[in-house]
Amino acid sequence: MPDSALSPPAAGVIHDLGYRGYDGPRLGRWQIVRALTWHSFRSSFGIGRSVKGKIIPVLAFTAMCLPAFVNAFAVARGNPRLFGYDVYVPSLRVAVVTIFLAAQAPELVSRDLRNHVLPLYFCRPLRPGDYPLAKYLALTAALLLLIEIPLLILYLGTIASAGSGGAVWDQTKALIPGLGVGLMWAVLMAAIGLVLASLTGRRAYSTGIVAISCVLTFILSLLLIQAEGGTTATSTGARIAGLFSPFTIMDGVRVWLGGNPNVGLVANPGRYGPLYGLLAVVLLAACLGGLAARYRKVSRS
Amino acid sequence: MPATDPPAVIETRVLTKVYPGGVTALDGLTVNFASGVTGLVGANGAGKSTLIKILLGLIQPTTGQAKVLGLQTGEKVRSLLGYMPEHDCLPADVTATEFVTHLGRISGLPPTVAKERAAESLRHVGLHEERYRLIGTYSTGMKQRVKLAQALVGAPRLLLLDEPTNGLDPAGRTAMLELIARIGTEFGISIVVASHLLGEIERICDHLVAIDGGRLLRADTITSFTQVSQVLAVEVEEGLDRLQAEPAARGLAATTQARTLLVPLGGDDTYDVVRDCVAALSLPLCRLEQRRHQVEELFRDEEEGVANA
Repeated sequence: MPDSALSPPAAGVIHDLGYRGYDGPRLGRWQIVRALTWHSFRSSFGIGRSVKGKIIPVLAFTAMCLPAFVNAFAVARGNPRLFGYDVYVPSLRVAVVTIFLAAQAPELVSRDLRNHVLPLYFCRPLRPGDYPLAKYLALTAALLLLIEIPLLILYLGTIASAGSGGAVWDQTKALIPGLGVGLMWAVLMAAIGLVLASLTGRRAYSTGIVAISCVLTFILSLLLIQAEGGTTATSTGARIAGLFSPFTIMDGVRVWLGGNPNVGLVANPGRYGPLYGLLAVVLLAACLGGLAARYRKVSRS
Repeated sequence: MPATDPPAVIETRVLTKVYPGGVTALDGLTVNFASGVTGLVGANGAGKSTLIKILLGLIQPTTGQAKVLGLQTGEKVRSLLGYMPEHDCLPADVTATEFVTHLGRISGLPPTVAKERAAESLRHVGLHEERYRLIGTYSTGMKQRVKLAQALVGAPRLLLLDEPTNGLDPAGRTAMLELIARIGTEFGISIVVASHLLGEIERICDHLVAIDGGRLLRADTITSFTQVSQVLAVEVEEGLDRLQAEPAARGLAATTQARTLLVPLGGDDTYDVVRDCVAALSLPLCRLEQRRHQVEELFRDEEEGVANA
């Protein structure tokens, strides 16, 4: 307070213009949650942040969309569609989602923990569960865009060169399960990313926790699948080897629900399919429960 | 308190909070806070922050109940409150305008209203020119003002300020206190100021509530507090021992502390009595100063009073 400390600041200004209260309408609790969700959604793409905060979202988005554009060129030259809607480019998708999550989940939750901003939220007309809910909805929506927009580009690039209405219909029928898989990815990975990132306010640590958790479990599952004879193997070991990482669990669910077992990350889970489904649901519930518990605790401190 | 007083903005009834682990933060606290500016004084750990958290509805009391603005505590009443936490709570990498606008939205203001009120709140706290700067570039005093502005943005009817002068230099403290007094008198917002520095907040308060160990020590108007808390410090170059007996003969209970004689300040005539004492003994007077008790001294006096009663 360099100058204002010595001469009591701008006293004249305050007197001249006076204070006005506000008696107009106020937002309800859900409208406030929506406002917080929108704010968080924007910041998960670095909007309202510095240039530095926009680098990772932009790179992730570009990398994710690149194959879809390549496909558009290929299809225009008469080739068939290069990538499946349900698996897209599996390794690229795992890598980009991991990087995006590791960078942006801490952006949404660790920053507020770090700056001790949370008391300012909890002293306002929100319930303790509303804050993590808004963050979860925001990150889910961000991941959904990151995953689904490349699929839509893939679709548009393909139907642009489609000869007939029937071909367009075939593409649409293939796209819909792909969008469903994308939704599953967004819903589950947002929960995992947030609960891990909310463990600490140290940005670097929470990025590390998210990245290492995603990468290590994924490598573990890949190695196990490899050891059991690869994605074409039909042994019990190969069928359950994908249960050790979220990405392979979700791919197992995809195959279980009728996806093409010959592409993707895991061996056909066969009769173990329901186990993949169950584990995905349990993982989601555990992460959301953990997130709620975390913020119930934080709101009291 | 007498029935003529304005209705209480805060009422607590035998409020007790025992934290898991057995720490009793509040112990049967029953007190009313009148409208206007009320100081909530107590040493560190007296239960000030716990009381504020209960009033905000962030923690539940173990027993007893609290009403704020006539309503049960909870999210409904939170929209009528503005809270300024004790500790640093600001992000460095956003501008003050953005931050206060965002929190205005979370307070339930529509988008355009939030923008207007954020600009106004920052102007009221004296940050009009600097409001587009990143908060990270602010001085401690400016950050305290942003904390006050975010409490004001939601158009509260009651402000809960937890140690608002924390970390400020003397000039900054004075400016912050003047600002709080102005908000209390001119903006018509009731204010509770928690502080461990009685001498500081008594300058701006209408009422004081003193708590210690989670129990109420005293709740009263500021005038009755200052009567017990003000002393006149007298220093003479020599003859302190002779001077010491003199006020007692004239009906004042003087005590010595190091090389200073402390005389309870009853009113303006106390000055005359002290002057007469010094003059009667022809002592070289070098200092005559009005002092305020620290809150700890007030508590000691209170406890002695209780013990004597």
